[in-house]
Amino acid sequence: MTLMQIALKNIRRRISKMTFILLGLVIGISTIVSVYSILEIMKTDMTKHVSEYGANTVLTADTGEIAFTYGGINIPEVLYDVKKMTMEDISVIDQLPLRSMIRVISPKIFGVLQIKEQNVIVSGSDLKSDFALKPWFKLKNDSDITNNSEIAPTESTEDGEYVEAPKLDLTRMELTSLPIFGSNILLGAVIAQNLDLNTGDSLELNGQVFSVVGILQENATQEDYQILMDIAAAQDLLGRPGEVNVIELGLDYSLGSEDILLAQIKTALPEVKITNLRKASLGQDEMLSNLTRFGVSVSILILLIGMLVVALTMSAAVRERTREIGIFRAIGFRKSHIVKIILIEGFFISVIGGIIGYITGMAVTIIAVPLLVDNSLTVQWHPWLLLAAIALSVIIGALASLYPANLATKLDPVIALRFI
Amino acid sequence: MPKPLIIIDNIKKTYKSNGEDVNVLKGISLNICKGESVAIMGQSGSGKSTLLSILGGLNPPTTGRIIIDDIDLYNLSQEKRSDFRREYLGFVFQQFQLIPYLTALENVMLPLTTTNYSAKIKLEKAEKVLEQVGLIEARHRLPNQLAGGEQERVAIARAIVNEPPLILADEPTGSLDTKTGNSIMDLFQELNESGLTILMVTHNPRNTSYMKQTVTMKDGLLRLENEDFLPNEPDIKAMYGGIV
Repeated sequence: MTLMQIALKNIRRRISKMTFILLGLVIGISTIVSVYSILEIMKTDMTKHVSEYGANTVLTADTGEIAFTYGGINIPEVLYDVKKMTMEDISVIDQLPLRSMIRVISPKIFGVLQIKEQNVIVSGSDLKSDFALKPWFKLKNDSDITNNSEIAPTESTEDGEYVEAPKLDLTRMELTSLPIFGSNILLGAVIAQNLDLNTGDSLELNGQVFSVVGILQENATQEDYQILMDIAAAQDLLGRPGEVNVIELGLDYSLGSEDILLAQIKTALPEVKITNLRKASLGQDEMLSNLTRFGVSVSILILLIGMLVVALTMSAAVRERTREIGIFRAIGFRKSHIVKIILIEGFFISVIGGIIGYITGMAVTIIAVPLLVDNSLTVQWHPWLLLAAIALSVIIGALASLYPANLATKLDPVIALRFI
Repeated sequence: MPKPLIIIDNIKKTYKSNGEDVNVLKGISLNICKGESVAIMGQSGSGKSTLLSILGGLNPPTTGRIIIDDIDLYNLSQEKRSDFRREYLGFVFQQFQLIPYLTALENVMLPLTTTNYSAKIKLEKAEKVLEQVGLIEARHRLPNQLAGGEQERVAIARAIVNEPPLILADEPTGSLDTKTGNSIMDLFQELNESGLTILMVTHNPRNTSYMKQTVTMKDGLLRLENEDFLPNEPDIKAMYGGIV
């Protein structure tokens, strides 16, 4: 018989009271775990979204907007003085004094075409640059492609010769080496499915025949719905030669001042609207930090309430055990032995509370995440979070056990045994 | 005259009740030699249980000393007094006072919990005393699975497992029928014959026949059986067997 055995046997005997104590801890710990996990996933989600626009600065044509009111009914964003960007703007950017800060320049043009009574978006860009900015772009797996895994011979507009495109592969490296120029196009996952097209198929757009050289994996981004092609081919197809809708820039902030570069761009291209994604994301970061602070505050409050529940319930349990503690004292247990028994009980319940709290918190996270952020994000089961949950639970349990343990030492064994 | 094992020296105990002093013990002196068995009789409220709790190191007297085996009990720190109880005293409480969630064997092993004996020795000692009280077969039963007399035997086994020189018993047959009570008193008698000193509080006159000596408490003072008053001044004490 050891003090630990006594403590464990008492836990087993007072299972309902111990369950109540456990509940106090589980609620506190699971709240902390779920708040922490959800906030972490929201951060990941935000980071993913920002990095999806691997470009951290986007240039668009500046347009005037005006809202009209007709008897209280608003017609917003009526555009006027619509300006256009051109490929010449790229040359202007290339000559900026701080050009060295710009890692990637990716001009883009967008247009809408109708195929089989469906509106489809055509996106023209320098695809090599675009891929450099979007590392998550991957081709669909061979096994995902229902037929024609071999690409049919396609015509290269570069030299007018037929070349055989390489067999599709899954790796990104091979994606970047695909011959995406001229009449070769890539399809987003959704548009490919909607048009029932596979790699190697041909697609007629405005009378021109294009060859599908690859289909992208689904990314839950706008590219899923787009036909991607070289910018020159897109400008030609859309009948808008030299036009650019968007210029995405990948800036390297370590090479100079972001503000100076943006000021240079504004001076060189006064009719261009500059959107700084990094600053926008920093703003989101601040919002998330505030949310984190709020979450932590709520968690601490719940944890304190949980601690109070544990302390009160354990104190009540100690009072119930007055006679038992009196017996222990009478047969030679020191006060420190009684304290140890109470603390061991608190420790075991806390460890169990930490484990169950972690599992419950993660379960809440799994349920809540799809409602709050991107479905594609998976909840990570961090072992260190489990250890942290247990450690926190043990600290809370130990703190909450101190009062009842102290109470136990103050019990008069004489009164406890009703000697008098 | 043999050297006393227990010296109760002019013990007084006063409680506050509703702001007034209540003198429960008014000056008790008694010497008890090793191997004695003493029954302390008295009506409820006479102070006998208070005396027992003071003797057990659980309840410091207002004045006076308790010396057991040359150790002044209330000169010890609280923690040392706990150790003293474990090594020198075996308690048998009213209504058995077994721990309900521990088996008979585990209850008996309780006083050994805080000792340095190995688990094997603790088990051997507990089984030995359970054998001695005739309950080895019931060692794995919980208290609520035992009859009253069996529970009392477990309580006695728990009191003697540490091999203390002194047993303090408080109304050990109070909750038992006559037959079971007699068998328990037989057991106490056997323990006394084996050399244990026993001090028993009881208000059952039948129990006194199993004890070598009987004293009576009345109004906080000690009286010998059939004597009107036992003076507590040391210089006029008379010797009655082992009781001085």
